[in-house]
Order: sequence, then C-alpha cells, then structure tokens
Amino acid sequence: MVGVLVVTYIGLIAVVMSYAALTVEFSQSVKNDEASVAMLEGQYLASVADIQNSDYRAAGYTTPVRQVFVPTESMTALRY
Amino acid sequence: MRAQFRSRIRLVLAGIVLVTLLILIRLYFVQIVQGADYAQKADRQFASGSSGLFDRGSIYFTDKNGTIISAATLATGFLVAINPQTLVNPEAAYAAIAGLASTTIPHDAFIAAATKKNQVYVEVAHHVPDAAGKAIAALDIPGVQVLQERWRYYPGGSLASQSIGIVAYGLGTTLAGQTGLEAEYDDTLDRSGNSLYKNFFAELFSNVGNLLVNAKDAREGNVVTTIEPEVEMRLMHDLAAVNTQYSSKESGGIIMDPATGAIYAIASYPTYDPNNMQNVNPSLLGNPLVEQVHEFGSIMKPLTMASGLDAGVITPETTFNDPGCILVNKARICDWDFKPKGVIPMKEIILQSLNVGASFIADQLGQDKFRSYFTKFFGDKTGIDLPSEGHALLSNLSKPQQVGYDTASFGQGVAVTPIQMIRALAALANGGVMVQPHLASAIRLDSGIVRTLNYSTTTQVFSALAAHETTQMMTEMVDEKLQGGRAMIPTMSVAAKTGTAQLTNGQGGYYTDRWFHSFVGFFPSYNPRFIILLYTNDPQHVMYASETLDTTFLDLVHFLIDYYQVPPDRGFATSTPSR
Repeated sequence: MVGVLVVTYIGLIAVVMSYAALTVEFSQSVKNDEASVAMLEGQYLASVADIQNSDYRAAGYTTPVRQVFVPTESMTALRY
Repeated sequence: MRAQFRSRIRLVLAGIVLVTLLILIRLYFVQIVQGADYAQKADRQFASGSSGLFDRGSIYFTDKNGTIISAATLATGFLVAINPQTLVNPEAAYAAIAGLASTTIPHDAFIAAATKKNQVYVEVAHHVPDAAGKAIAALDIPGVQVLQERWRYYPGGSLASQSIGIVAYGLGTTLAGQTGLEAEYDDTLDRSGNSLYKNFFAELFSNVGNLLVNAKDAREGNVVTTIEPEVEMRLMHDLAAVNTQYSSKESGGIIMDPATGAIYAIASYPTYDPNNMQNVNPSLLGNPLVEQVHEFGSIMKPLTMASGLDAGVITPETTFNDPGCILVNKARICDWDFKPKGVIPMKEIILQSLNVGASFIADQLGQDKFRSYFTKFFGDKTGIDLPSEGHALLSNLSKPQQVGYDTASFGQGVAVTPIQMIRALAALANGGVMVQPHLASAIRLDSGIVRTLNYSTTTQVFSALAAHETTQMMTEMVDEKLQGGRAMIPTMSVAAKTGTAQLTNGQGGYYTDRWFHSFVGFFPSYNPRFIILLYTNDPQHVMYASETLDTTFLDLVHFLIDYYQVPPDRGFATSTPSR
C-alpha cells in the first residue's frame, strides 16, 4: 500500500514537473512567434508607408483627368 | 555464518568504494576538466535570473477590414554582457561583438567597463537580433555572456506614437506605461507579476484561490484600438508636409467617426519614434491634441450658428446689416476684409466667414444662453481614454463684458483642446448629439474573452434641424467658395469650414502677423462617415487657413472616399447594375 502511494507521489511530481516545463517552453515559443510576427508587421507597415509616400508622378504617371465611382455587385451571393 | 557475514560486509564496502571512486572521477571531470564551462554556465544562470524577461500585453491597430495589427508588442533577442574578472582580451571581444551586434556601447566605454575588475556583470549591448546573438554565443568568448532579452517594440515606429505612448521606468523599479494608451491601460497591459521562472509548487499551494477565481484573468489582456494604420499614416504624412512647407511650429489632425466617436487617426507633427528614444525632446512625449488648448478661430462659427438656430433667435432666412466693423466695449471687431456687406442672410456668415455676423448671433442669444451652449460644448473634458486631458479656458464667458461673448462666437478669447473641438463639431454631423471620442474599442482578455468597451453616453447639445441647417451652409461653402468652387466633388457632398485665429502674444493681446490655422469638414454631408479636424500653428508667410490646409483636407477626403469606397451621395445613379 505504501509502495503504491510512493509510486503515485513520484508519478504526480513527474507529471507536474513536466507540465511546468512544457508550459514554460510553450509560453516562450508563443512569445518568440509573436515577436517574429511583430517584425513582419513592422516590415508591412514600412512597405505601406513607402507606397503612400511615393510620388507616382516621379514614376512617369500623371494625375487622372477624372475619377469615376464604379458601383459593383455585392460580394455576397444575393439572389435576385 | 560469520564468514558469510564478512563476505557481505566486504561486498558492501567494495560497493561503497566503487561509488566513491565514481563520484571522485565525476568530480574531477566536473571541477577540473570542465570547470571553466560550468562556471560560465552558472554565471549566465545567475545573470539571467536577476534580470528576468519583460512581459506586457499588446496594443493593436484595426484596419478597415477588422484585421488587427500590432501597434505595441514585444520583441525578443539577446543582450550581451561581460564579466570583467574573466574577460581576457577586451579588444578582441569588442571587435567580435561590434561586428555582429548593430548597437553596442562605444569602444572606449567597453574598454573602461572591462577594466572594472571588481565587477562581474556589465551589459554592453542590447536588442541584439536572434541570429546575431546566437552567433556571438557560438564564439564562446570567455567572460562574454549572451542572455535572452525581451523589450517593447512598436512595429509602426512613429505611427500614432503620441497616442500609443511609451513604457519606461517611472518612480518604481519596474517598467510601466508612462504616456498615451500604455499609461491609460497599464493595469490591463501589465504582466509584472507573471514571471515564467516562479516556483511552480509555491504558486500552486500559496494561490489556491486563484485556481478557482483568477483575478488576473479578468484584468490582464490586450487593447484593441480604432486607429486605422493606413489612415493614420496618410494623416501623418500630410501633416508633416504642411508643417514643412510652411515652417509651422506644430500641426495636428484627427479623423473620427462622428456617430460613434471612434477615432481612425490622430496625429501631430513633430513627433517621435518610440523604438529609438535617444535624443527625443521630452515635450513631444505628451499628446498635444488632448493636452494643449488653442484659440481655433472661425471653425467655431458653425457652433455659434447652430446654437442660434437651436435657440430660435435666428432662422436661415434671418438677415442682418453688416457694416464690416463694429465697436463693442471699446473694442473693434471686424470682418476679415473690413468691408461693409449690407443686409445679408445668415448663411453668408459661414460662406464669407464674417466675424461681425457671428457677433450678431451672440448678441441675439444673450450672454446666459451663449454661456449655456458653450459650456455644454466645452465645459467638461471629453473623457477620451488618454491621460492628462486639458481643460478648456472659458473665463471670458464668466465676465459681463459683451466683447468676450462676441469674440468667442468666432473662436477668439476662448481656448479649447483639439479633441474637445472635434467632439463639439461632430455634433453637427450627428444630428446635434455629442459622442465620446475614444481610441480603444475592446479589451481582449488573456482568458480569451473579448470585452467590448461601452461609449454609449451621448449628449444632445442642439436640435437635429439646427445641425442640418448649419450643415447646408457648410456644404455650400465647399461647393461655392473653397478653392473658388473647384474643390466641389460632383458625386460627394462635403461640409467644411476654415478658421484663422490670431495668436496670443502672452501679454493679453494678439500678434497682428502670426496665426493659428484650422480646418474642419465632414462627409457625406447629410450622413457623415468621417469628420476631419486639422490645424497648423504659426505657419510662416501665409495668412489664411484656406491657403494652408485646404489641399491637405481635400487630399484626405479623396483618400478616404477611395480607401473606404464611400458610395456617392449625389450626382450619380446609385442603383445596382443588373446582370
């Protein structure tokens, strides 16, 4: 009986320790992935800023003579 | 029996001797053969444990499609430290570190640190990228430690930096939000008690209550803002261009949904990059759009007009005789051109921006009613979720002199914050209802629950009819007057008003040649989705806001129409084409 309790206790400790180690490992992994995503987001925002700040006239384009709003069908599949 | 006992004793003794020998051999290898390596590992563990890894929730932008993009998050990398007691060749170590890390301490400081033999830990490089950190670690230089580090990172750089805020050491020894949303939502973002290296068993048994009801789960989360990164970027770019072109002291702008108070963009120039805080002027750390007050000038006239219409003291058909200048309490109030206009209707006050006309409405309202309306507009803070919001200066409306009311009617003598100004003007675009401007739309708790923030408190400040009639005048101003009528968009109604105020000289008077330019507008006029407020402070060699800010305003209007695909509200067949 005592032997069973001892084995159970040791097993419990092993499980808890493994859980703690995995939690730390996964948390670190998530944080590292989030940091990688943040770096990509930084590149994305820099690209958008670059596009917005670019002068299209310097690339040979001219100001549109006029702009027309073109109504389009809804992207949802509406039935007529 | 005794012989058997002796042999057993010898067997046990031999076992003990064997184990002792094994331990001695192991000790020899650990302490003598691999001693240096283990000492260094122990040193690293000590240093890592003392510094800990920084943790904090994120702040997000929300793009037009509802996708969230980090505004403030965490970056991971390495810091490099030296142990001067074990560092053998400082010059070689510096060359190796400087060659791989983009930022490090200067050479002289590094060598000086290396000579401090009474110290065991000096940090020499921070924010070293992952690959570079691993490369330095692989060099295995004696006395050089490479430790994991995590720090606050703002992917957008200066994008909305004065509103997002910064994290820094305040009075305490822990990093905390000091300005902007970082400070406002510090309780939500803070993770200072969540070390990954805590004693698991101690936590398990000492915080049994948290297993059942975890208070942290209800508090800790990430903040989702209404700031749209591309709109913010555009506003920032346009403000920088205006500020540079006219050598202004500062320029600012806000783009908001007038119906909800959700702020899409809020920016001022100059600003700073929170990823690089070295040499940043501390005066830039606050948010001038929330903290500073200005006399906005003629963009106040639509509010005066709506107040007069709401009170019933004037109608759009009311006429008055404008002599060009009037004398009030011995002070001379004049229109911009000093010329008499004769008998003219109310809309001309907005179309021609007539100070004498605005004074006429103030006179018709009387001091009590005028004070009542302006106190409703500006008497209270807006309650925006940013720290250090400023108070409006309305003391002229507590005095009996009529000149204070007359000048307030066209935006002089009273000073309000830009956020107060756009909140009051947004009532024109929202049926006379003032909403609460805000930046955060939701808190995403770590538990997975998304808590939407409630900003449903509204204030009716004038009637929907008064707002509509004033909007008609402002729309006519764009269609007929702005850029001589060329600014009119055939397929989109836009309501706007310019403002040019004289700057105070700090001695109770005003400069005659220094100005504060402002511009407000919203569209579509009668079902607005966006309201834009712009200002530029002390622009050089230019007098009127219609010269400095009209191009910027129209650029933003066209950008928003294109970006959000705002459908035309006039001059276009809006029926959906058949297949």
